[in-house]
Amino acid sequence: MRHLPTHSRSNQGGGGGGKVSNRLDISRRSFIQIVGGVGASLALASFSSLACADLGGAKAAKLKKGVVFAPNAFVKVDPDGLVTVSIIAPDAGQGSRTSLAMLVAEELDVDWHNIRVTQAPTDSAVYGNQGIGGSHTIVSLYQELREIGAATRAMLIAAAAKTWEVDPTTLKTAKGHVISADGKKSVAYGDLTAMAATMPLPTVKAELKKSEAFNLIGKGATRVDNPDVVTGRAKYGLDVKVPGMVYAVVARTPAFGASIKSFDDSATKKVPGVLEVVQIPSGVAVVGTNTWAALSGRQALKIDWEMGSNADLNSAKITEAMKAAVEPHPDMPAGSKSVEASLQFPYLAHATMEPLNAVADVQEGRCTIWTGSQQPTGHQKDVAGLLKIPVEQVTLNVMLLGGGFGRRLYDEYIIDAVNVSKAIKKPVKLMWTREDDMKHDNYRPACFCSFRGAVDGSGNPVGWSHQAIQAGMGGRPSINYDIANASNKGHTVRIGVPTGPWRSVENTLFNVANECFIDELAHASGKDPFEFRRALLKDDRLRKVLEVAAEKSDWSKPLPAGHGRGIACFHGYGSYAAHVIELSIEGNKIRLHKATCVVDCGIAVNPKGVEAQMQGACTDGLSTALRAEITIDKGGVVQDSWTDYRWMTLDAMPKVEVTILQGGDSPGGMGEVGYPSVAPAVANAVFAATGKRVRKFPIKVEELV
Amino acid sequence: MSQFKINVNGSEHSVDVAPDMPLLWVLRDVLDLTGSKFGCGIGACGACTVLLDGSEQQSCQIPVSAVGHRKVTTIEGLSKDGNHPLQRAWIEHDVPQCGYCQAGQIMAGAALLKKNPHPTDADIDDVFASHICRCGTYQRIREAIKAAAGVAK
Repeated sequence: MRHLPTHSRSNQGGGGGGKVSNRLDISRRSFIQIVGGVGASLALASFSSLACADLGGAKAAKLKKGVVFAPNAFVKVDPDGLVTVSIIAPDAGQGSRTSLAMLVAEELDVDWHNIRVTQAPTDSAVYGNQGIGGSHTIVSLYQELREIGAATRAMLIAAAAKTWEVDPTTLKTAKGHVISADGKKSVAYGDLTAMAATMPLPTVKAELKKSEAFNLIGKGATRVDNPDVVTGRAKYGLDVKVPGMVYAVVARTPAFGASIKSFDDSATKKVPGVLEVVQIPSGVAVVGTNTWAALSGRQALKIDWEMGSNADLNSAKITEAMKAAVEPHPDMPAGSKSVEASLQFPYLAHATMEPLNAVADVQEGRCTIWTGSQQPTGHQKDVAGLLKIPVEQVTLNVMLLGGGFGRRLYDEYIIDAVNVSKAIKKPVKLMWTREDDMKHDNYRPACFCSFRGAVDGSGNPVGWSHQAIQAGMGGRPSINYDIANASNKGHTVRIGVPTGPWRSVENTLFNVANECFIDELAHASGKDPFEFRRALLKDDRLRKVLEVAAEKSDWSKPLPAGHGRGIACFHGYGSYAAHVIELSIEGNKIRLHKATCVVDCGIAVNPKGVEAQMQGACTDGLSTALRAEITIDKGGVVQDSWTDYRWMTLDAMPKVEVTILQGGDSPGGMGEVGYPSVAPAVANAVFAATGKRVRKFPIKVEELV
Repeated sequence: MSQFKINVNGSEHSVDVAPDMPLLWVLRDVLDLTGSKFGCGIGACGACTVLLDGSEQQSCQIPVSAVGHRKVTTIEGLSKDGNHPLQRAWIEHDVPQCGYCQAGQIMAGAALLKKNPHPTDADIDDVFASHICRCGTYQRIREAIKAAAGVAK
């Protein structure tokens, strides 16, 4: 059995083969306060006192002996010159382990190939909130991590200055070396670690590089985990194995709000490899010596369910309830041409590629977890609360996340694992199957958007009323267009289907609906949908991405019959995006030809990562525009797996072209901005190709009106 | 439980498991080869793809009892040191996002290139229509396969 590293607080041993400079004192605290700019919360532990998870499993090379310079909880410099950056943001595919390390490497002046990353222990006392959501990772850490890199560099310079007995302000750095003013002397960072560890901590902030001097930021790096991913060494939650571990799956309710009347596990207990059957709050857990035994045992369970209050709930009733909540729209100005439309959205599952799972080892007074979590500090607290133990007694090891999209902001799967481990007094790997995941998500709400708008005799919009009725969540729409007296209302109807944030959250509904309806107003005004939008946009950066999307997509060039182009844009998370989709329709089949994606996220720290996020969000947009939906019947989810929750596959993808603009001098969020203008561009392209409007997602040609 | 001898990545293994246990769980839970991923268990996503005598096989869809003498190759055994042309192309083209499906994608690509060293776009479409990447890395997958195959873009 493979032993995985844990974050042991008592581990004061050094990293690699070296001895660690471990100076926990008041001056360290001030170093972090000044340098980190994130307060005393970061100050209390040095990096090297916290053994960190190795998500790759590759064997560490034998390191040179000597002092490891670890001035703060984020950075350590080994005697061989390798710099390890501690990553506080879980990586769900957004590339945080790469882009955050780039920020430190940039200011520290270290070659990228000498950078290593390690996942930080979950510890809000040291690192603050370690969650990922709202596209904030780079935005919130851009300044701090560069400052930490710069301060670490300043200490290495001070060490060289002391060695050479020169003024530190005369020294330069490049490629992991401190260099003398005349360029004649050079010393590697690795040879300075012992001296650097004795240097006083900086009392003033080190100066940051000007953006013209960046070597890494804006240039891009390939992902740090690629070598482990392509060889199968990368460790996700589901890959964890700890000594004595058993495996569990849970038989879950067939309807939301259903409960167990009774169950018969006699057949289950005869399945070879089944060890125990225990009831936990979410259902009946079957524990086995391996995953297959647990799955086979679950198959043999007989459960009598009390179906509960949602037993008769179905999608038609939910749609009816949403439509019933629409209030009368205001009257449009006299003499104007009025347009009415509606758009219906289904529930969506997150369907992360790696089904939800956690390994939990509950012992007397403490608990250790290995899992993929988007909210490790919050989930650590939840576990502590459940077990009624101090949060310090919960060690939560963040593994790689096989996708997040908002799903792993929730921790039912971790709670399941803790409940089972507590009940059976063994470490357990608890896995949700794909079907469990599909049927027990916190879904992107279904929604019904109702519009009334108007244009005057000159084709100018003179009225706009949008009511968005969500089956769950909440929020009120807004628009990016300059239309007088625009009315935007949001209502929520309470339905027994759990909902939660899904990549771009309410923008997956409101912006999609807005961008479809503005297209209808453009048509009513007799104007080109691009020019119509352009004239009404209030924001210069948004107008620019729209213009570039039109240009890159050859917007004004004619298309063959049966083809159509649609355009849409979005502003959110501090970034701007626009899309043009070109498609054609043959019979009832929609064929995608090209997706032109433009983004302005200010500084693109890692352009390769930005491009990847745009490509991925485009795939999500196309999948949900054309294929995926969650429907409800008898109080539960109809869909089981990828066979009926259909996602885009490579063969159906158009050519996706991404253009990155820099319209600002700080980074904006990238995880979500690329989604909300894809589906409306598809719907508008369908109209351009057919003259018929989309009233319901996912788009079915036979349902166009 | 029954004893089965299977050849995985060039080594013979003797496993004592239920005959209907899918190869995937033998690899992951018994042999600790966790590179092959569980994504659906019904052969719908391709995350568990391995090679069986060089051909693509979804390891969740074949019980251990049906493997017989055929040679199983997993991502861990695709190359000695991660230098298969596809692995190199995957790194260079920065294909992975979350990375979870990528072992399956690479193994499918390896099976494709083995029988068709210069696949067309249509050939690539045929194979990858049954592989899901929830992060949407499709364009880079296509580019990496072409690069590995030495096919001009």
